[in-house]
Amino acid sequence: MDPLLLGGIVAIVTILILFSGVSVAVGLLIVAALFLVTFDGMRSLELMPEIFFGKLDNFALLSIPMFIIMGAAIASTRAGADLYEALERWLTRVPGGLVISNLGACALFAAMSGSSPATCAAIGKMGIPEMRRRGYPDGVAAGSIAAGGTLGILIPPSVTMIVYGIATETSIGRLFLAGVIPGLLLVGLFMAWSLYDTWRKGGESVVLAKISYTWKEKFEILPRVLPFIGIILGVLYALYGGVATPSETAAVGALMCLLVAIVIYRLWNPMDLWVVLRDSTRESVMILFIIGAAGVFSYMLSSLFITQSIAQYIGTLDVNPWVLMGAVNLFLLVAGFFLPPVAVILMAAPILLPIVTQAGFDPYWFAVVLTINMEIGLISPPVGLNLYVINGIAPDIKLKTILWGSLPYVGCMVVAILLLCIFPGLATWLPDMIMGPVL
Amino acid sequence: MAGVSVHKVAKHGGNPLLRAIGFLSSLCGIFAAGMIVIAVGITCQMIWVRFVLNQSTVWQTEAVVYMMVAATLIGIPYVQRLRGHVNVDLFPLALPIRLRKALAILTLATTIAIAGIMVVYGFELWHVAWSRGWTSDTVWAPKLWVPYLALPVGFGLFMLQLIADLVATIFDIEAPFSIEDEQTPDSAPIAGAD
Repeated sequence: MDPLLLGGIVAIVTILILFSGVSVAVGLLIVAALFLVTFDGMRSLELMPEIFFGKLDNFALLSIPMFIIMGAAIASTRAGADLYEALERWLTRVPGGLVISNLGACALFAAMSGSSPATCAAIGKMGIPEMRRRGYPDGVAAGSIAAGGTLGILIPPSVTMIVYGIATETSIGRLFLAGVIPGLLLVGLFMAWSLYDTWRKGGESVVLAKISYTWKEKFEILPRVLPFIGIILGVLYALYGGVATPSETAAVGALMCLLVAIVIYRLWNPMDLWVVLRDSTRESVMILFIIGAAGVFSYMLSSLFITQSIAQYIGTLDVNPWVLMGAVNLFLLVAGFFLPPVAVILMAAPILLPIVTQAGFDPYWFAVVLTINMEIGLISPPVGLNLYVINGIAPDIKLKTILWGSLPYVGCMVVAILLLCIFPGLATWLPDMIMGPVL
Repeated sequence: MAGVSVHKVAKHGGNPLLRAIGFLSSLCGIFAAGMIVIAVGITCQMIWVRFVLNQSTVWQTEAVVYMMVAATLIGIPYVQRLRGHVNVDLFPLALPIRLRKALAILTLATTIAIAGIMVVYGFELWHVAWSRGWTSDTVWAPKLWVPYLALPVGFGLFMLQLIADLVATIFDIEAPFSIEDEQTPDSAPIAGAD
């Protein structure tokens, strides 16, 4: 059978099986087994456990559970609330300081925890009631936090970027750097929209309202937030200073975050510590199971020459690279509406990357574009996890209001993608400057 | 990553067998968490040895990787018990309850079959590694049957938890796909989790 036609059949069968409600990892194993048996015979099944094991037998993967523990330890403490309070106290003189504090806290907490829903929950619990109390529209209060939470998968250290790096065999350190400027760009766009939207709804007095804090109040909160920020900076220094690999720095970061949570935030209770470990284990195993299964799925695609044929076919098409990129973005956007970022990356990146690089695009730039697409999925129906998280912490705001409040932020993300297309240097300049150009 | 938990756990409805299987899966979770914690410790020790004591490391890198693989494989049944494996449940949500139950039984049976394949061939791989005394190509050269053992054991325990879930679904101890009729936002699909 023509590999391209076979690729189409595999795509349809994969969609059908994943939509049956089976877990993503098992779905990938089922599709792989089905096509391996059909085209390579029963004996090909004996390779499945070996390929699964081989895919996980990778030191770089260790960074996933380590960064997850780091995030879970931070998320289990009052660090999010402290961060929010610190920024609020220091930025109170800035017009719209509250919404800026919220989005700034989201960006910083996202960097520390690497998790979108955890960021939404940690900052939103404090930020949304406070914004509403001071007269910000519900849509802005909910939408800004839902969107701010998505920064968790773009601003380093990001588990999504690690998974992309592993799936495409690109440098994780370079990927982290590529996400920095686009992450800050998104924060800026979110802030600008929040202020404009509040202003246009007659919130001039809300935006300009200031609460004064004494210097004592400003300084007394710093000791509570500086340790975590110090750890993050230390981790990034170790990573880029050539001291250790991502997995090693993540392990030290995880240990430090656990110690800070225990010592400073008094996470003494063994049950509280178990909750951190339980959540980390659940999240890590879920992701690693998908990674192992995606390895078997990729093997099936490769052994049936599907991956190679698609790349070859796209190479022969006389299509404008930007049309191709538009189609790729549309695919990612739709996939991101239904599937978790990790699953989309593991399934799509190995197929899309050769196509994208063949069309002349930078793989690190593409990682950022892909990640922003995944961020859109986090605040768009039908799944849009962050919308539900916000709904959970502010149940009196209607889901419809949260959704409509979030939509302009989706627009900001689309603007960011367009800016990245016009100025690819936004993603590639920083890694090139710090780590040198890709050879 | 963590921090927002969708707290669902497999129901046993008082059935001692289902309860025992759930307990076994929980033990798997404790084992997996323990492996991850030990891996954190060993990695930190490795950095200490390499950068502070300026000595070379021999076994640490391989040991932590095998621990992570073991944590993943042995952790799979625990995550199944916690309903932590992400899925797309939009279609099952749209189905009437009877069809949803039929689909749940079908997907669980298929999952059991795929886990069974991994158990059988995982055991075969483990047995070959054990009988031929395979070791890894490193200075440390650990016997490979030890890490390979996690394959049949992990998928075997996963299969056991799946069988318990299938029984719970058939006898209406648990709602199909763990979707309660009046779904709250808290129990919404976590398919957007990063």
